[in-house]
Amino acid sequence: MLAIDILIQGFIQGSIYALIALGLTLVYGLLRILHVAHASLFTLGGYLGVLITNATGSLFLALILAMITVGFVGMLSYRILYRPLLSQPPLIALIASIGIFIASEEIFRIIFGPFSISYVSAPLQNQIEILPGISMSEARIMVVVLAFVLLLGVNWLSRRTRLGIATRATVIDPDMAMSSGVNVDVIRYSIFFIGSAFAAAAGVMVSLLNNLVEPTMGAVPSYKALAIIVLGGLGSVRGALIASLLLGIIETFGTIYLDDLLDRDSIAFAFLILVLMIRPKGIFSKG
Amino acid sequence: MTAAKTSPLLLDVKNVTVTFGGLNAVDGARLALEDNQLLGFIGPNGAGKTTLMRAIIGMLTPSSGQIILDGQDISNRRLVDRINLGMALAQQIIKPLKDMTLLDNVALAAGGNKLLSPIKAMIHRSRQHEQDIAHGLLTEVGLADAIYKYPAELPLGFLKRLEVARALARQPKVLLLDEPLAGLSIKEAEDMADLIMGLPCKGRGVILIEHNLSQVRRICKTLYVQNNGRPLAFGATDDVLEKREVQMAYLGKSE
Amino acid sequence: MAYEMIVLTNMLIAILFAQSLNLITGFCGQVSLGHAAFLGIGAYTSAMLTKAGWPLAATFIPAMVIAGMIGMIVGAASLRVRHDFLAITTMGVSFLFTGIIRKQDMLGGEMGIAGIPAAYGGRVGLLLMTLCLTILFIIIMIYVKRSWMGYVFESIAEDEDTAGVLGIDVRRFKLFAFVLGTAGAGLAGALYAHQVRFIGPDSFGFVESVTVLSMVIVGGIGSIWGVTIAAALLSVMPQFFQVIDDYKLLVYGMLLFFAMRFMPDGLGGLAKRFRQNRNPDSSSERSQA
Repeated sequence: MLAIDILIQGFIQGSIYALIALGLTLVYGLLRILHVAHASLFTLGGYLGVLITNATGSLFLALILAMITVGFVGMLSYRILYRPLLSQPPLIALIASIGIFIASEEIFRIIFGPFSISYVSAPLQNQIEILPGISMSEARIMVVVLAFVLLLGVNWLSRRTRLGIATRATVIDPDMAMSSGVNVDVIRYSIFFIGSAFAAAAGVMVSLLNNLVEPTMGAVPSYKALAIIVLGGLGSVRGALIASLLLGIIETFGTIYLDDLLDRDSIAFAFLILVLMIRPKGIFSKG
Repeated sequence: MTAAKTSPLLLDVKNVTVTFGGLNAVDGARLALEDNQLLGFIGPNGAGKTTLMRAIIGMLTPSSGQIILDGQDISNRRLVDRINLGMALAQQIIKPLKDMTLLDNVALAAGGNKLLSPIKAMIHRSRQHEQDIAHGLLTEVGLADAIYKYPAELPLGFLKRLEVARALARQPKVLLLDEPLAGLSIKEAEDMADLIMGLPCKGRGVILIEHNLSQVRRICKTLYVQNNGRPLAFGATDDVLEKREVQMAYLGKSE
Repeated sequence: MAYEMIVLTNMLIAILFAQSLNLITGFCGQVSLGHAAFLGIGAYTSAMLTKAGWPLAATFIPAMVIAGMIGMIVGAASLRVRHDFLAITTMGVSFLFTGIIRKQDMLGGEMGIAGIPAAYGGRVGLLLMTLCLTILFIIIMIYVKRSWMGYVFESIAEDEDTAGVLGIDVRRFKLFAFVLGTAGAGLAGALYAHQVRFIGPDSFGFVESVTVLSMVIVGGIGSIWGVTIAAALLSVMPQFFQVIDDYKLLVYGMLLFFAMRFMPDGLGGLAKRFRQNRNPDSSSERSQA
């Protein structure tokens, strides 16, 4: 494999991680909670993507519906899962979240069956030559483009809208924000909506790349996304995005050159531990 | 302890500078503490008092300068080493251990070697000796009636005293008190100041960081003043407070 | 009878394993989401040795020493990070362990190690051995809790910075907790390997680490009896759930959630609340801190 191929592959992987990690890091920034159950929403997004596409024939419609539905489920998860636990130590919320995640895998299995589901006719499989000699499937191009569009969108939201500015103020100093009239609960619901919608988008993208969804598809991304937001310096959006791309690329190189030593999923954690030993609060932490 | 007598100073802070992100929070601080002395350490808000205190005890690393404890250079020692070489700190924001009685809070600090060696800690079970010490100290600070109470059951004034008793349990040569009067009523502050006045003794010096100038003036014979991180004055209380620059620094601020 | 003995032995191993984490997380306040890795280290060490002809009892020490040594390395690394960073670092350890084992042909790779010899005395022998070791470990835990070590741990668990200001060598004590706790997990691993007699990377994954942490938290952080009861219950629960096998993980996951939601202090905390009958003000203040 050419180095450039690996790089592109890593970039695609990184874009998916970025979509998942964004919601996680926002939730962490706002609530200081490691939201493991985020991965359940990713899986739900994947299922909705496949099922709606198969029913309607439109991937675009499936993507939008999946994002909106999962966004609302995310808000619901804040209401029933985290809101009652905010006054408890963060470990309690973490364990509760892991509990929900474990249960959700089982729920997916019960509802959708234990076996994987595929697209009836997989969309966007044509190969396009993007550089001389290098071609990519439309699906892969779509992943990168969509990630870019969504992340630019959220960047615009956070800088140009009242909600975005209020959110950033709340992350920096919740008490201050509250005393200047920001309704913190509204912010939290919005963040859960946006973060969950993004996780759903990532789920649809993964379902497209692999042409299948299965109950356990959230397991690995869930833990890896946690590693990513830690690498990025917990709560930092920019840090999480850079760490996502970095990890996507390192992993792809790692699977080729470190295959005899480590499996793919532990490369991320080996890298994570190495980084934390040098910078105990992540790569992009201040000081 | 005859060797210690070669140096008359218990604590010698030489040109200590602490930098945060390019800004000098403390810039060239110089102060000295003698045996059996109560040194008042004052300065307007934001003068870098707590920062210097934290640098002295080792919770922060100064970017330059030296800290000499009883003739020994401790500039490169960790917090735990400094504490065990004879320093103690009563923090401004009191941090009692909530699940222990006052007696156990203080007795823990009197644990000596058992706080350094896990093996020794595992071998020893009895807390009797330390609790006796703690009982004495809690009596000394006026909390004899509350020794079996939990911190959550007591008002701030009591907890400030607990903080002092816990620091005393370390048997420090140098005792640092960070705003022990803050948040107390006038009467409570007066009583606490009386207590502090009695703390310096043979083999122990006390540095008192405080905002309450009237009490500081009443109980401290020597003052160190810091402003904007820089040393402003150091000497006998009355002389220091006469100085123009000290009055200027406090002018415009309340007090 | 054989079935009851297996269930009982499993239960005892779970108690030993959970207590070993209780030392680190409960007593000393250091969260670990990778404790199953040390169960695995003990299990692999012991299994390799008994397959090479050692008697099981002779493998206990090596299993504990190797688990404890690696625990010391992980502990030393963990000293650099705190709170959520610690949780994620230890989670990384869990994934790293299974990732490495999978690629080691010497350790059976993906396939794991099969044909681990039976313990001396068969099932009964193993049950008795496990019973003795678990009781011994609980006695050690009770002793530690009442000694100065427990006293010091309690202060570190509540507030590391304050413990440091009181002159406690926080790093050394944390490291000691890691070594003791991971060695205990190594011992549990040695017993576990000879109970199931087949081990693979998946026996020691992240879910197992979460399971043992949930035993400690449902039991009530630091409470010896609470954790013993929680470990016993949670370890036999899958057997009860055989009837509803399809919904096993669903029930388990929801159980974790509801336990956290309605009983955040765990069984130990519940018992404490009944016993002490403290006024509601002080307990609500505590939960806010």
